[in-house]
Amino acid sequence: MKRRHFIKKSASTFVVVAGALVAVSYLRQFFPRLAGEKRRVAIGAPRQFPVDTYTYIDEHNFYVYRDHEGIKAVSAVCTHLGCILEKSTDGFECPCHGSCYNNNGEVLSGPAPRNLPWYQVSRAADGKIVVDPGKIVGAEDKFLTS
Amino acid sequence: MDVETSGKEQNTLDQQVPSVRKRRVGRITQNFFLHIHDTRVHLHSLKPTYTFGLGMILGFLFLIMIFTGVILMIYYTPSVETAYQSVKNIVFIVPGGRIVRNMHWWASQGMVIVVFLHLLRVFYTGSYLGNRSLNWVIGVVMLIVTLLSNFSGYLLPWDQLAYWAVTIGSNIAASARELTDLLGITSVIDPGGFLKKLLIGGETVGQPALSRFFALHVIFLPLTMLVLMSVHFWRIRKDGGLSRPAQYAGDKGGTNKWYAWPVLMWTELGILILVVVVVLFIALLTDAPLLEQANPSFPENPAKSPWYFLGIQELVSYSAFSGGLLIPVLYLVFLFSIPYKDREDRYVGEWFSGRKGLKLVLYSAGFALLLVISQLFVMVRYGWFRDWFPGISQWFVILLNPATITAVIFILLAEFTRRRMNSTRMGSLVLFTCAFVALVVFTVVGIWFRGPNWEFFWSTNHWPVL
Repeated sequence: MKRRHFIKKSASTFVVVAGALVAVSYLRQFFPRLAGEKRRVAIGAPRQFPVDTYTYIDEHNFYVYRDHEGIKAVSAVCTHLGCILEKSTDGFECPCHGSCYNNNGEVLSGPAPRNLPWYQVSRAADGKIVVDPGKIVGAEDKFLTS
Repeated sequence: MDVETSGKEQNTLDQQVPSVRKRRVGRITQNFFLHIHDTRVHLHSLKPTYTFGLGMILGFLFLIMIFTGVILMIYYTPSVETAYQSVKNIVFIVPGGRIVRNMHWWASQGMVIVVFLHLLRVFYTGSYLGNRSLNWVIGVVMLIVTLLSNFSGYLLPWDQLAYWAVTIGSNIAASARELTDLLGITSVIDPGGFLKKLLIGGETVGQPALSRFFALHVIFLPLTMLVLMSVHFWRIRKDGGLSRPAQYAGDKGGTNKWYAWPVLMWTELGILILVVVVVLFIALLTDAPLLEQANPSFPENPAKSPWYFLGIQELVSYSAFSGGLLIPVLYLVFLFSIPYKDREDRYVGEWFSGRKGLKLVLYSAGFALLLVISQLFVMVRYGWFRDWFPGISQWFVILLNPATITAVIFILLAEFTRRRMNSTRMGSLVLFTCAFVALVVFTVVGIWFRGPNWEFFWSTNHWPVL
């Protein structure tokens, strides 16, 4: 290989590689690094929640259900397109595209692709009930309070 | 302007007095801005029933958007806490602010309507044929930029309408997850989540989304539009002016042409004044909507996106993936591919490619109307697969709904026509017409016939009191 060809080749390779690196690191800036873990939420003492009722927890978008045995928590976000579900007499209904779920969070009708996730419920040291949206449990698992 | 007879007695500018010619040509060539035009314009291009001036109207509406947008931008603050109040200030405190905001809103609505009319005009006159395929593609990109500009502007007031429309929109962007979930590969590769993150910078719509949409709306999209617009206009000149029928294709020099100065200038000034007056008039009479401030805990019921996306929202109510992603992407792929699939240049510049084409267009429009409405009837009256077989696989929901069934039938029909008539132009006439009619029907249903919980209602008077 002649010297001039070598210089030409290495120079153009350098330009392409450097350009690609600049482009990638520039485009990377459009994707923020998000905190991956979802925060645990303390929702208060068990007696704050009426028995046999679904209570909507504002800002955190889930329902808390308490019966005489214990407490469980289910997501209030429709698995279709993220609208907040309304409690109907025997389940949940989405105001946006009409998906219906039963009281176990299972899809009954409409376009929703998945059942609603149930969140792990536990008790903190100070006696408050804590819901962890990062940990998914089954619809039967409830935190026993009695 | 008798273009029809001038084929025999050649009307030509070449015998004009040299001093007149010099002055009129000079007006155009010596001015940077006017030089966007050729010095001479073909008589056929001046026929109002050929272009309806739609491209020009779009350009002027865009001008209104820029002028009013700059004022709105001065008074608006893109922050979750203050955005809503700043829009209220614009409406109630800034002198003339209400009119400026209304004009901005109505010009944007106008752009959406006219951009589709322009698409229809260009398609049905076969103006993508010949050497104009690249400009068609640029035009379709501009259609997308127009819709994105509208959508990004929708979030900025931070009212209930804005918040829920964008929540739904961003989750449509993430709807590829529906497919990756079914395949069980979401944890490995998640294009839906990737797209959503790019769009709103987080898991839910919040300050990052507002900042991103603001940047898109005031810098990125208008600049993109301006560049595309320049290329679009430049290509028209490069392609030899507006498209015209084959009989005039060979007109060289001054044959069948007029000087652009002053004829075209008067026409353009007239259209500019008309556009401004109409927008101003509507803006004086009708206020742009502004609901209560955004509340992330309580969606509106029904929560509707902007009207031009309600067709897609109707499809999305069947399945997020097929309605929000698959069908729209297919439609865009079809639009982009038209000038490369159909190379029958003899049809250029002729409305509906003549009588045969017009008949075909009317038949396909009727067929599409029947097909879509009958499926909607079944769906509203008797339900769909998930109502008949509860617990059915999500695959059925994605692949067998009115949106996908309609698309497959249209594609088969177009392919059948292409083979039967041995013409790609006739095939694309069928598919384009069918797809457009379906889009209109779904949009109309979404706008007027869907109520709380996205249930079917004949009129808003029948909505239950919530």
